[in-house]
Amino acid sequence: MSVRRRKRMRAIVPTASFADIAFLLNIFFMVTSNFIKEGHIELTQPRSPEIEPMKEGQVSVALDKNGDLWLQGKPCPVEVLEEGVKALIAELGEKTVMLKIDKDIRQEKFGPVFLALSRAGAELALIGQKAKE
Amino acid sequence: MGVVPLAKSKSLFEPELTSFADIAFLLIVFFILTTTFITPAGNKLDIPSASADPAKSEDKQLTITLVGQDIRYGSQGERVTLDDLRRKLLGQNFRAKPPGKRIVIVNARPDVPYELYFEVVMAIHGADGVLALLEEEEKAKK
Repeated sequence: MSVRRRKRMRAIVPTASFADIAFLLNIFFMVTSNFIKEGHIELTQPRSPEIEPMKEGQVSVALDKNGDLWLQGKPCPVEVLEEGVKALIAELGEKTVMLKIDKDIRQEKFGPVFLALSRAGAELALIGQKAKE
Repeated sequence: MGVVPLAKSKSLFEPELTSFADIAFLLIVFFILTTTFITPAGNKLDIPSASADPAKSEDKQLTITLVGQDIRYGSQGERVTLDDLRRKLLGQNFRAKPPGKRIVIVNARPDVPYELYFEVVMAIHGADGVLALLEEEEKAKK
C-alpha cells in the first residue's frame, strides 16, 4: 500500500505592503501632529473648576514665571504687544488670543498685558487647568 | 574604435527597498512619541474694549476688589471667600439681564497673584457675567 505523503504547507506572509502602510501612517501623523511651540516657556497654569477644553487658537501670548512676555513663542516687550497682536490678528484673521500666565505672577505684570490685548481688539482665551470641584 | 554592444551595457538596477519599512516604522515611533494629544483648557472672555470704558457707564456696575489674597465684594467691600463669591455672582442672575448690565469690574491691586485673579474671572464667567478691565487712569481715581 502506498501512502501519499502530504506536501508541507509553507506559510507565506506578504510583507510587500508593509512599507506602504507605514508611510500612510507617517503621513497621518505628520498632518495631525501639533508640535509644542512653547516648550521653552516655563510657567505653572492656574486651576479652576469652571474651565472647559477648548480649541487651540493660532495667536498665543505667554507670561512666564520670571515675568517675561512671549508672543508666538518669541520674546516680546509689553510696549509692543498691542501692535504685534494687532498685526497677527490682521494677518491670520483670528481674534482669539490664547493667554497663558504663570499662577504666581502679580497684577502689576499681568495687568498691562490684559489692557494691551484688550486695546488690540483681541478675544481672550484664558488658559488654565481644570480643578476638581 | 570599438563599439560596445547595447545589450552588454544594460545593467539591471534594483534599489534595496526592504529597509524602507523599517525607516518608516522608526519615523512612526518618533511621531508617536513627540505627538501631544493635550487639548488646552480655558474659557473665552468677552471683555469690553478699553475704549468702551464701562466704568464710566451710568449704571452702577458690580465691583470686585482684589487685595493680596482677599476678595472684596461690592461697593461696601464685603470680604468674601471664593465659594461665597460664586454664590453671590450666581445670585445676581446675569443670564436674565441684558448684556450691558452683566458687567463686573474687577479692580485688582498690584500685589494680587494671577491665580486668584484667574479664579475670580472664571467665577464671573461661570455666572454669565462680563468682565470689564479698568484703565490705569481710572484705577488711580479709585
